[in-house]
Amino acid sequence: MKFGGTSVATPEARMISALRVVSAREQGFHPVVVVSAIGRRGMPYATDTLMGMLREIDPNVEPEPREIDLLLACGEILSAVIFAHTLKTLGHTAQAFRGGQAGIRTDGVYGNARIVSIHPVSLLDSLQGGYIPVVCGFQGVFIAKSGAPGGELTTLGRGGSDTTGSALGAALSAEAVEIYTDVDGVKTADPDYVADAPTLRQVTYDEVAEIAHLGAKVVHPRAAEVAMQYGIPLWVKNTFSDDIGTEIVRRDKLPGRRLTGVTHTGKLVFMQFDLADARPEDRVALTTAIYDMMARYGVNLFMMNLNAESTGFAVPRGQYPLVKELLEGLVIPLGGETLTTYLFQVGAQPSREVESQAALLAPLGNVRRVVSELTEGCTMVSLVGHEYMQRPGVYFDVLSTLAEGQVAVLQTSDSEFSLSCLVPESDTHRAVKLLHDRFKLSEVR
Amino acid sequence: MERQHTSTQETGFEKKRGIGKIDVRTGYAQVLVSRLEGEIVQARLRLLEAIKDAQIGIDFLKLTPSGLSCLVAESDSEKISQALQGHPLRLQIHHDRSIVLVHAVNMRDEEGLIARIVQKVIESGAPIDHLGDMHDRVLLVVPGAHAEALVQVLETLKGNELAH
Repeated sequence: MKFGGTSVATPEARMISALRVVSAREQGFHPVVVVSAIGRRGMPYATDTLMGMLREIDPNVEPEPREIDLLLACGEILSAVIFAHTLKTLGHTAQAFRGGQAGIRTDGVYGNARIVSIHPVSLLDSLQGGYIPVVCGFQGVFIAKSGAPGGELTTLGRGGSDTTGSALGAALSAEAVEIYTDVDGVKTADPDYVADAPTLRQVTYDEVAEIAHLGAKVVHPRAAEVAMQYGIPLWVKNTFSDDIGTEIVRRDKLPGRRLTGVTHTGKLVFMQFDLADARPEDRVALTTAIYDMMARYGVNLFMMNLNAESTGFAVPRGQYPLVKELLEGLVIPLGGETLTTYLFQVGAQPSREVESQAALLAPLGNVRRVVSELTEGCTMVSLVGHEYMQRPGVYFDVLSTLAEGQVAVLQTSDSEFSLSCLVPESDTHRAVKLLHDRFKLSEVR
Repeated sequence: MERQHTSTQETGFEKKRGIGKIDVRTGYAQVLVSRLEGEIVQARLRLLEAIKDAQIGIDFLKLTPSGLSCLVAESDSEKISQALQGHPLRLQIHHDRSIVLVHAVNMRDEEGLIARIVQKVIESGAPIDHLGDMHDRVLLVVPGAHAEALVQVLETLKGNELAH
């Protein structure tokens, strides 16, 4: 039973969560609990607050990933101890475990470690001793070399606590893994946008993974992947309601054509690089340079496109300042003896930096600009389904629905499980509602 | 209801980062439509309606300044020409296209991985007609004759933790 941040945020929420654990025990199960950090943004032990304590020392000095992991793991340790004590106040003995104490071994990538093995001997001892183990989500231990005492604490990155829950479920051959959150399960749309969006009773791993890939938060695909691999039933449930929730199943357990829902990403900035002015023999080098830079700085790309004379993609608005800093005024000389110098410009209007670079480069002669057309304030709205996107006419149905609703579509992309449209951010709500209504998703069960 | 806990063995869990598998799907045609006349949004919709009426499934739709491009099954390429007859436009069909699928689990969590795969593909010099992505793979549309060479390049990257 894994409890997310909202389920452990307050004493009241923790009591409701603890009572669910007690109820499972009274039904004859041996529950193992995994908890997320206790703090939410702005609270004393929230990730942002903890990171702020490092940054305020000197914002220009980047903290070491190893030290960040040690610091961030405190949130889950605090949560596990408090949850275990809450259970004790209800008359049930419980023991808190760090990830490493629970036997979770990871690779050595701080901040985004992957679980390589679990040796849950301490948890089994705890269960046999009559305790309820309460394990810190999101963390494990990297053993750099055999015999190294204790190992290095690592964190599992996004969705880390969900992954802890699934992985422990697999290691313990659990009856089921239950992920508790503050919604009834996987819904056909964000209930803030579509109030009557129904909860899906079953959904496949692929659909959940695609929804997460497109930016919506449900259960993390890493958790679903582990559960599917080991054949452990996985449920998403609401701590605060008695709804039965959503079961995540393998594709072969839920065959057939259907629509899953409409999702939307966060805020994006779309960039389209015009290479028409570049020499044809230089275009591969220029495009390679753009993507190399995005890779090196860990920029997350959406809605990519590529053709002989241009390439483009959307980036999260939070990463846009970094992308702009990387590309604005960038100079790439190419061509050896027949040197051509390329100067990158972000947006239609050259900045002062670009103009000064141009002035400096002018004596070199052959200087060409690579201009990135910029569309700020957009988002991606996606229709997700199973064996549906290949149906003739689905593109027409989506684009005509949005056109009738006066929603401009700037670009599209699709995959086996989804069809996405880049739309102005101000139209997100309308676009989600229009597609949800057009495809009768309120009738989906 | 009680259950015996027997799994005390160490167990391997998550899949490795980076490229895990490469597949190729053959038998597609690339459709390029340009010089559409009139208001572009409505012109594109008329085109897509004609394609729908002809019961042709399309993938990789991209909107271009004067039209659109998409991928259809090779067996539908003749059908799409007929469906678009009579529409004022310029139609080009590039036959023998393949989709190269580069599988990499949880790509979105490995920051920079998608960009790194695309960079390696472009660097290889393979002519890419289109590219796309989904939760566990990057999809590349290439001329059929170039698919095998591209696969060879990508094979050399398997097992590398490209995002780190």
